[in-house]
Formats: sequence, structure tokens, C-alpha cells
Amino acid sequence: MATQHSRAAARFMISPSVLLLLGWMLIPLGMTIYFSLLRYNLLMPGEHPFVGWENYSYFLSDPAFKIALVNTLLLVGGVLIITVIGGVLLGLLLDQVMWGQGIVRILVIAPFFVMPTVSALVWKNMFMNPVNGLFAYLAKFLGLQPIDFLAQAPLMSIIGIVSWQWLPFATLILLTAMQSLDQEQLEAAEMDGAGPFSRFFYIVVPHLSRAVTVVILIQTIFLLSVFAEILVTTNGGPGNASTNLTYLVYAESLLRFDVGTGSAGGVVAIVLANIVAIFLMRMIGKNLDA
Amino acid sequence: MARKVSTRRKAVNTGIAWTVGLLIFFPILWTVLTSFKTEAQAIADPPIWFNFHWTLENYVTVQERSNYFRHFWNSVVISVGSTLIGLAIAVPAAWAMAFVPGKRTKDLLMWMLSTKMLPPVGVLVPIYLLFQRFGLLDTQVGLIIVLTLINLPIIVWMLYTYFREIPVDILEAARMDGAGLKDEVISVLLPMAVPGMASTVLLNIILAWNEAFWTLNLTAAKAAPLTAFIASYSSPEGLFYAKLSAASTMAIAPILIMGWFSQKQLVRGLTFGAVK
Amino acid sequence: MGRITLDKVTKSFGEVQVIPPLDLTIDDGEFVVFVGPSGCGKSTLLRLIAGLEDITSGQIRIDREDATHVPPAKRGLAMVFQSYALYPHMSVRKNIAFPLKMAKMDAAERDKRVDYAASVLNLTDYLDRRPGQLSGGQRQRVAIGRAIVREPAAFLFDEPLSNLDAALRVNMRLEISELHNTLKTTMVYVTHDQVEAMTMADKIVVLHAGRIEQVGSPLELYHTPRNTFVAGFIGSPKMNLIEGPEAAKHAAHTIGIRPEHLDTSAEAGTWEGRVGVSEHLGSDTFFHVHDTGLAETLTVRASGEVALRHGDRIFLTPQMDKLHRFDAEGLRIA
Repeated sequence: MATQHSRAAARFMISPSVLLLLGWMLIPLGMTIYFSLLRYNLLMPGEHPFVGWENYSYFLSDPAFKIALVNTLLLVGGVLIITVIGGVLLGLLLDQVMWGQGIVRILVIAPFFVMPTVSALVWKNMFMNPVNGLFAYLAKFLGLQPIDFLAQAPLMSIIGIVSWQWLPFATLILLTAMQSLDQEQLEAAEMDGAGPFSRFFYIVVPHLSRAVTVVILIQTIFLLSVFAEILVTTNGGPGNASTNLTYLVYAESLLRFDVGTGSAGGVVAIVLANIVAIFLMRMIGKNLDA
Repeated sequence: MARKVSTRRKAVNTGIAWTVGLLIFFPILWTVLTSFKTEAQAIADPPIWFNFHWTLENYVTVQERSNYFRHFWNSVVISVGSTLIGLAIAVPAAWAMAFVPGKRTKDLLMWMLSTKMLPPVGVLVPIYLLFQRFGLLDTQVGLIIVLTLINLPIIVWMLYTYFREIPVDILEAARMDGAGLKDEVISVLLPMAVPGMASTVLLNIILAWNEAFWTLNLTAAKAAPLTAFIASYSSPEGLFYAKLSAASTMAIAPILIMGWFSQKQLVRGLTFGAVK
Repeated sequence: MGRITLDKVTKSFGEVQVIPPLDLTIDDGEFVVFVGPSGCGKSTLLRLIAGLEDITSGQIRIDREDATHVPPAKRGLAMVFQSYALYPHMSVRKNIAFPLKMAKMDAAERDKRVDYAASVLNLTDYLDRRPGQLSGGQRQRVAIGRAIVREPAAFLFDEPLSNLDAALRVNMRLEISELHNTLKTTMVYVTHDQVEAMTMADKIVVLHAGRIEQVGSPLELYHTPRNTFVAGFIGSPKMNLIEGPEAAKHAAHTIGIRPEHLDTSAEAGTWEGRVGVSEHLGSDTFFHVHDTGLAETLTVRASGEVALRHGDRIFLTPQMDKLHRFDAEGLRIA
């Protein structure tokens, strides 16, 4: 519903965004794909011969890749399980009548605003340090042997830190969704004889399903790219015990200066992310007009 | 209608909720407390809670030793700069999509969002090499460019959802009143969209402030924002808990305060309007 | 000046043609009302004139100049929207002054015109308020004020009264008519309410499915509706339309008789029926008459109070000179 004038204006107004994003997407992507087919190491000057799929077969057959892939999935899956379950419980808790609800809410969402490097460092040193960390004191207080979390259970520790950062996000979104539930619907169900548990499972849960899906999908996108937390705490180690795909590609490209293999890894990461993205786009697309 | 709940029930809820809330908040609280201790008190066994000698010396040391304010200023320039430039590019696009929607508007929005799904590590190598080639490594300009581009889809999307709530009648009235495109957008649309734009700006400053992939990989000492500055505490200064805490507190305080103000919009922005 | 000519104008949205080729001339100073049921294309037609929509083919001329491709801002027309479309972030003064500011008029002249418009519209005391602090009627007046200050070639009104309550609507109707008498500027007014059309218009354009059914003065439409659609749409209560043998007696496919042109009697008359619901308005009484064998119900308007009750037998006699006859296509038989 518009005139040719306004449609022409619209095309003009939209083009800077489109061109910039198109450039941002296509130029580096094209370069990544191109580099991934070359033998190209920054430490070895000279020719960059075309080697076809060599980098891919090298990257994919590297035992580190398999570990990184498994770690990536464990990291994403672990954080999702913790944050979604925790988020539903916290959302329900914060939805109750209480004193100081606003303040509790502020306390709960605070970790989301802490930059990844800060939260990683604080957890690493002040909590998980086997000598001076608070957890070590707590263990000694309880008469237990302190644990060096980041050495003995590096991936689990990182899952814990990342979950702490993302729990507020899940809580906030699920709480918002709960508060948008029509109270009359619950009252009608109560009039129809539904107890608290039936009300929760037949009315609250279906109402939350969309928000839960959104939480899962959006977090997945971010969690696939977790980087700073690993860089600051374990550097991917010990060995490759806490290396995820993002960190592995970073290590190949900027630590070992192997542009070719790093790029091949980048392409693999893109393919993986796209599989997730397709689901996310469908989901959000459906909600666009709702 | 809110229903009457017994005082006892309310007290129990309050007790549980505050306990959980304080537990989740505890690492931040502990960091802030530690930042006011001496290094010896910071690692005291057993831990000291409140009855320590409060001191600001750590803050002074952090500033003296590593020029905190330069990194703080880098963070401000990069996050505010990328957000404002992004806004200038996104407002026209959001106007077009909200008020002159076509058959492909929805696809276009989806496509813009899809650029956000591109894992940064997938384009790390070419961006790094391009930055090296054009002398953009470790510059504010370089980071502003990257952060503008990665947050542009979110800005467009958020503005779009806010603009859609403005009745098109009013813009048509402006057209009938003789307003050209510039006046329609600047004199009529933007003043009406101030609340939505404010939350868009706020959320994007937060996201840019905390961005920790590109800022870590594309900066060294000169243009490093707070994310990278803090990462440099990884070792060995990390073992000086009080100073680490002081640096951390200064890095998160401004954004924590902004975040608390924007918590409602946060949901909308981060879910692209799917949850309001 | 404000003479608007539509020449073979059509409008399609995609495959759907909402306005088939249409010709219409609106003379300078005329008060023209587009009326028709919802979805008849009357608002679309107004937006085509305004330039808020492109026409698909044909030509629009304003004062002999081709305005087909002129953007709305440059057509010199003013529009009052159904939602008023006031700028919520501006005071009443700034709202009214906005078109003048866009025309780059200097501030002194602007203030003079705004003050004049405000005094005409009784808004002087509200000039510093925001639209959100005004009542519906006041907002309506601000919207009108915004339209009149720039002295447009013509005013376009898109159902401007439909958001007001009934009493206010009658007042505003009079005010707009008064305004037209004062300004003598062309006004094009869209409404679905035939009472508004009858009371305000110099010329009514009855639209149905994008087509003009009839153009004429209110009384022309009342006395000589060109077809059954216009006959049924104009006049309240609606004209009674009767088909079948009774119509055949008058050599027509359909005959129409307005409720006020049926004489009632308790004893004798042409048609006989039973009184259903009767509505007593004081000045008039409307009877809904059943079981006449002519149509489901016939509506009768009797002056004053008539002592007939539910279920009573009633006799009706049409005033033969007021009988309308239509052929099988629904067109008037002269």
C-alpha cells in the first residue's frame, strides 16, 4: 500500500544497510572459502599453491577436531540444560508474590551484563583457584580435599561459568513470557477444577513453549561461538580437553598461523552454525507477524 | 487481578527468592568487596566478609600501572561509536521496512538476521588479514567498523519492531502537510520513536561493550577496550585478587547500571521481538 | 481554486481491481461526499486523490494540471484522517503550524494564521497542550485546524467523525458544514453514514464495489434513485423493495416505496399485514409489518403517535406518485 515514489524512496533508504551487510557477508566468506583451498601459512612466505580439499581432510582428520566437536556439543548442550531448567524454576520463583521483587530481579539478571573476560577471570581466580579460591576454603571448611577445577574438570568448569552468564537471559525471557500469561485463563482453569499441577502442565507449559524455543535457539547461536571464557581460563587445555571449534580455529589461524587450515575450520564452523540457524530462522519467521 | 496471598506465604517466597538471588549475585558482590581490601586481606584464610580495612588503593594502582582510563575510553568510543553509526544506517532501513513493506520485506529481515548467525570464527582469518593489510589492527576505527556491522541487524530489527507500532496515518498526515522524506523521518517519526530508539541504543552499547571475540583478536595495547584489558590480567597479575577485582569492578559497573535500566527492552531486543 | 477531475481512473492491488475505470468531476467549492458500504472503495478513492496511493491507470487533474505523478506533499490538498493523525510529540500550536513550517513560511505569519485558526475552532485556550491531553472533539478540531491553515485547494476528509460519540458527531457535522460555508473551499468527504452524506453534501457520490452507482444532489438521490442499490442505501429507514406479482402489476421487476410514503389504517387499504415490532420515536413511529405476502417485512413510518400494538392487523396504502419502479437489472424505469 504505497506509491511508486515511496517505494523508490524505500529502496534508496534500505540500500546502505543491505550493501554493507552483503559486503560483510560475502567478502570475508568468499575469502575464507578461497583460503581454505590454499596451502597458506603466515610463517612460510612465498607461493600459496592451490591444494583442493587438503586442508579440509587435514582439519577433519585431526584428532583435535573430533575432541573440539564433542566439546562444542557438550558445552552447548550442558549450558542449555542448566539454563533452561534453571530459568523455568527461577522464572516461577520470581513470578510469586514477595517483598522486594524488583531488587531480586536485578540481582538475578546482573551476571548477563558482566563481560565474558571478567566473569571468566573472577571465577577462575577467586572461586576455582585450588589454593586461594573460595571453593577451596569451602572444601577445607567441610574437611574435603580442594579440587583444581580448571585442571581436573576444565570443560565442566567452563560450562558452569557460561551457565552463570546465560541463566539470567533464560530467566528474564521466561519470566516475561510467564507474566504475559492471561491471569483469567488460569482462573478459568481453576473454576474448571484444575489443581496447581494441572494448571502448570496444561496452561503454563504450553504458553512457555515458544519462549523456551526462542531461548534455546538464540543461546545456541551464541554458545557455538564461546571464546573469551576459554581463552582466559584454560587456553583450551589441558591438552585439548576444553577446546571447542571456535577456539580450535583461532588456534590454527592466529597461534599456528596456518591460514589454510584455519579457514577450512572456519567453513566447517559456518556449516555447523547454519544447520542451527535454519531452525532459528523458521522459528522467528513464524513469530514475525504474531 | 492480583490475588491476596497470606503473609506467611509471602514471607517464605521472599526468603527463598532473596537467598537464590543473592547466591547468583554473589560473585559480583564478592568481586566488589574484594576490590576494597588489601591484597593480604583478599586471600585471607578464612575469608573476611565485611570487617576489613576499606581502601581505594587498588583502584589507584590499577589506573597507574595500566592506564585504566585509556581502555575505558576505548570501550566508550567503540561501543557508542558503533551504536550511533549503526543507528544512522539502520533508521532509514527500518523506516522503509516498517512503512513501505513489500513482498520481500520479511525475507530481507530474515536475511539480515542470518548474517548475525555467521560464526565470527568463520571469517576471522580474512578479517584479520584485511585489517593487517589496511592498517586497521589495534585501531578504534577498525573495531567500530566490525561492531557496527555485527550489530546492524539487531539495530534494524529492533527499530523495525518499534516503528511498526507507530500508526502510518501520522506519517501520511505529514506527507499531506507538505513534508518531504527528510522532514517526515526527522521531524515526525524520530521524535515519536524516542523511547524505542533509546532502548535500542542502550542494548547495543551493552552488546558492543561486552563483545569479546573481535575485541580480543583485533586489538593489542593501543585500542584495547576493557574486555581485552581485563584479559591481560589472566596471568600473572590475576593472582593479585584485590587489583583484579578493582579492575573488574570498574569494567562492569557502567554497563551493569545501564543494563538494569534496560532490562525490559533487553528481552525484546535479544529475541528479535518474538517475546515481548 | 479546487477543481478535481478523475479521468478513467483505475486502481488494482496486485491482480485485484478495486476501482474499475471511473470518471468524476468535483467542481470548485463543492462539498462532495463519497458514500457506500464498507469495502466499496471510497477511502481508496480518497487516497488516490490525495496521492497516498498510485493510480493504476488514468489521470487525475487538479485545476486542469495533471497531478497523476505529483507526490502528496505537492498536490496542495489537506487531509483530515479518521484517527486524526495528530503529532503526539508536538503541542497543538506546533501541530497546526506544521504544514506552514513545511512550506517555509516565516514565523510571524505562521503565528498569525495559527491564532486565527485557533480562534475559529475554539482552540485558543489549548494551544500549548499536547494532543494526548485533549478530548476527541478537540483533537478533531486540531486536525481540521491543521488542514485549514495552509489554505489548500481542497480538503479531504476520511470518515472524520466515526471515532466520536453520537452527540458530538452531530455537532461536528454542523461545524464542518459551517466551515464549508465560510471557506467555500472544495471538500471531499468520505463516510459510510448516509445521514452524514444527506445532511452535508452538495453532491453525493454513491459507490459500490469500486463503481459509481449514482452522482447527484441529496434530493435527486432521494427522489430518483437510479437503481435498487441507491434506492436501498439512501434514506432512513430503508426503502421497501417488493418483487413478484405485486411488482408485475406495475409493469416492473421490482417496486420500491419509502416507509414515509405508506399510509396506514386499521380498517382498509391496498395491502394488509400484522404489526411486529414498533419503534416509538415520539415525532414518528416505525412499524415493522409482517405477513403481507409481499416481502419479509415492510417498514412504515407514521407521523406522531399511532395506537397500534404488536399483533394488530394493519392496512397499508402506497402513495402511487411516490412509487419507484425498477427493471430486472435493477435500473430505474422512468
